[in-house]
Amino acid sequence: MITEQEFTNIYNLHASKVHRLCLGYASGNNELAKEWHQEIFIKVWKYRNSFKGKSSIDTWIYRIAVNVCLGDLRKSRKSITINEDLLSNNSYDDNKNDDEKNIRKMYHCIDQLNEQNKALILLELENIPQTTIADTVGLAHGTLRTRLSRIRKSLLKCITNGKR
Amino acid sequence: MEKDNLNKLWDIQTNDISNFNPKEIITKAKKQRNSQYISITVMSLTVMVLIIYAFYYAFSQWNTFNLGLLLMISSLTFRIVLEFHSLYRKENQLISMTQRSYLAYLKKYYKTRQIINYIITPVCITVYIFGFYLLLPYFKKYFSNVFYTYIIVSGVISLIFVIVIIVKSTIKEQRYLKQLHK
Repeated sequence: MITEQEFTNIYNLHASKVHRLCLGYASGNNELAKEWHQEIFIKVWKYRNSFKGKSSIDTWIYRIAVNVCLGDLRKSRKSITINEDLLSNNSYDDNKNDDEKNIRKMYHCIDQLNEQNKALILLELENIPQTTIADTVGLAHGTLRTRLSRIRKSLLKCITNGKR
Repeated sequence: MEKDNLNKLWDIQTNDISNFNPKEIITKAKKQRNSQYISITVMSLTVMVLIIYAFYYAFSQWNTFNLGLLLMISSLTFRIVLEFHSLYRKENQLISMTQRSYLAYLKKYYKTRQIINYIITPVCITVYIFGFYLLLPYFKKYFSNVFYTYIIVSGVISLIFVIVIIVKSTIKEQRYLKQLHK
């Protein structure tokens, strides 16, 4: 059973990655991402007894995270506004504008992917090990590698040309 | 744009999670759990009272008033229990399935929901309305005209309100199901 102290450690270790994963799912809508973030960790605490250690704790948390984001009906809204505050303030204005434009494009392009590819690329962008991604999503490692390479190419093409 | 730039671009986002801390999350989780227990207790007590009422009172003095009341309460209870059951199952799948299996489960789940939305819910509403209709002669006999009119008007308005909510959530679920099949 996970104690409060262990939960705190788990939270501190994963909170940041989980939040950014949610941001990607919410196309940058920070309010929605925060709601999901909270819901995910509430579930981790509530169902901690059902974690039997068949997979690693990381995999279990990421599974809950992608499933919460996937299962929320609110993301089916046609347009999700992108929060300007999400972009760091420390870059120069010109660079910032370019980055801003690119990240908007990136959110838009990620949103065009199907549900599974969206989860794959968001986990990959967070530098989560591929074995964990494969266990989270339920794909064989070999298939995952090929798929990720295709998604990256498609995403780059979409961000550069506006097409997939 | 270089391949690695995808990660660089992704890392530009700031990470605003300052509003949360683990203790607060644990407190919220405990509150949620408690309110779930309260809901289940209230539901179970209601069903028990209904069963006791049916066996000890309604069946011994059977009339259309009792029938109407039982139809209204049981159709409502059935629909609520069904809702709780499907939500509980969905939650259990969410925490145990891989994303791939959960996606397949959600597609099946929302297809079943369509059967609930298009067949079971209308049947429940019809039974509820019929039960309400059976009560009307008793209301007319025992209540003043003004109160009788109030019961009819408020009954119709709340029913329309409930139907609007159901239709809205049905549309939302359909749109979501379409998105899952993308």
